[in-house]
Amino acid sequence: MTSLHYRHCESQSAEAIPAITGTPKLLLKSQYRRFTPSGISEPQFEVPKFAMTILLLIIFLTSVICHPPSASASSYGVSLTPPLLRVNIKPGKSITQVFTISNLNNEDKLLVARIVPFTQSDDRGNPSIDMKSNPSWLNYFGLANTHIKLGSPFTVKAKSSEQLILALSVPANAILRDLYSTLLISTYSNISSPKFQGSQVSAAIGANLLVTLHSDINPPTILKISSILPNTGAFFKVGNIYFVDNITPLSFSTSVKNEGNFTSETKGIFKVTGQNNTPTYLEGILPVYVISNTQRILLNSEGRNFSFSPNLSQIGFYKIIVQINSENSHTENSIDIFFFPFKIMAGLIFASIFLTVILRTNKTQKIEYFPIE
Amino acid sequence: MTTIVFTLYFHPQVYADNLFSPSFEIDMGTINITGGNKTSATYRLSDTVGQTAQGQFNSSGYIIKAGFQYVRELTPFTFTISNLDLNYGSLVPGTPSLLTNILTVTTGSAYGYTVKVLEDHPLRISNGSTTIADTSCNLASACTQTDATVWDDNTRYGFGYNIQGTDVDTADFVDNTYFRPFPIQDIDSPATVMSRSGIATASAATVTYKINIAGSQATGTYQNNIQYIAIPSF
Repeated sequence: MTSLHYRHCESQSAEAIPAITGTPKLLLKSQYRRFTPSGISEPQFEVPKFAMTILLLIIFLTSVICHPPSASASSYGVSLTPPLLRVNIKPGKSITQVFTISNLNNEDKLLVARIVPFTQSDDRGNPSIDMKSNPSWLNYFGLANTHIKLGSPFTVKAKSSEQLILALSVPANAILRDLYSTLLISTYSNISSPKFQGSQVSAAIGANLLVTLHSDINPPTILKISSILPNTGAFFKVGNIYFVDNITPLSFSTSVKNEGNFTSETKGIFKVTGQNNTPTYLEGILPVYVISNTQRILLNSEGRNFSFSPNLSQIGFYKIIVQINSENSHTENSIDIFFFPFKIMAGLIFASIFLTVILRTNKTQKIEYFPIE
Repeated sequence: MTTIVFTLYFHPQVYADNLFSPSFEIDMGTINITGGNKTSATYRLSDTVGQTAQGQFNSSGYIIKAGFQYVRELTPFTFTISNLDLNYGSLVPGTPSLLTNILTVTTGSAYGYTVKVLEDHPLRISNGSTTIADTSCNLASACTQTDATVWDDNTRYGFGYNIQGTDVDTADFVDNTYFRPFPIQDIDSPATVMSRSGIATASAATVTYKINIAGSQATGTYQNNIQYIAIPSF
């Protein structure tokens, strides 16, 4: 056994899975006096009072040393609101926004707040924060609290909250652009104690800040909706037209790319139109933000892919259209579909063939039963 | 000001603008001060629009929107970890030691989240530079910081983690024998361990930390820091 100087009374928390088993055995032969008739030993503790006191004291001290309450109860629970801040601001202006950080633990927590920039996100709006980046515009941000500053530790008492007053002051000569960052609040820890053994877990919780610096509330946006693709349903494609069975529900997926330099919002609709562009179905698009030069999946207002259940009366050419409108831009994409009761027709054709075969078979059998004499 | 803007954008009294026509069409930019859900047999819409923002922006020079349009109340984004001190005990060469803790996320009014993880360095002896290397899992199928593979060979040494539970990529962490090494702070990008697109209510996942050493591993006290970062989607 290689000793790595780890304590012998560790791994006793509820979550611990001791892979190394080796329960210390303290056997006092004198304690075992007799066996029960069934053969199972039944210890009788006839120990002198003084020895019993010592034994109890040892047990108590062992339990206190091996199960320090603070060690087993060390946990993390923090909440932060709001989770998102969207700001359109002119250069030369300042704003403040209150963030509430709550400590859900039974012990005080030492936390530290900082602003971490990000420039990219995935297609579901999850930022890729860059802990090492330190752009000059980070100086625009600060905390207006008296005793709490960015980068300096502060205490949030057990089961209580603290308000962080985030201040954004944009210089008058600031470049018109978007600033993407996350207000990150981390557990504060000094360099680990040399006595600490194992892994010390720390945590951080964030809220995203999407800031647009522009003299216009609606800076120019360039959104492009990608191809609308049927995901589920019964369909096949010939050229640019989807031939779709009209008794099978359909679902569609699509995404939008922001090719502009400023954040845009996905306010719009998904619609199905028939002849004369008459809408037969409308569904709202989940309004989310698309930061510059990123792509975002479009979802319906319930956070799912767009869906449409046609009915038997819908036969012929229809259009699936996705539109996004903002104050100064409009973008849309569409696909052509042809609804037809393919499944029903296939069923009818199959039934006709089946009946024809049966009838012909019966006819042949009748001829065999009545031969010409 | 925030309150005013917020009230305008999340105004609860939207009934005056119920729109019934099955063939109606919306020009999103021209309806003044309305918001909320609008439904009929043929459409479902949820929007907040209004042109007063333009005037406010011109007069004050800023517009603030805190939270998400589709959630009417600002409820907090919450992250918990059940155990912060992971003491692996006295290690036996070739016999893995395992510890677990539980991560829990509630998105509140956010629409989706990710939890990422990294370590400050591999488990390192407190008074030197000797480390217990991060695992590369079984020899037949090496794991990476973003690709978990099976690690059940006790002659393969190192330190790694497995995660099982809600909002975990089960295509990667197929079962509890699949492990990854931790990314290293300032060198690697944090690795995603939990993720959801949509509202999460107490999504929980159990992280299992595994350490297995060779007989030649130097005696000493080894330590490192593992950091989890929970960030809502925007």
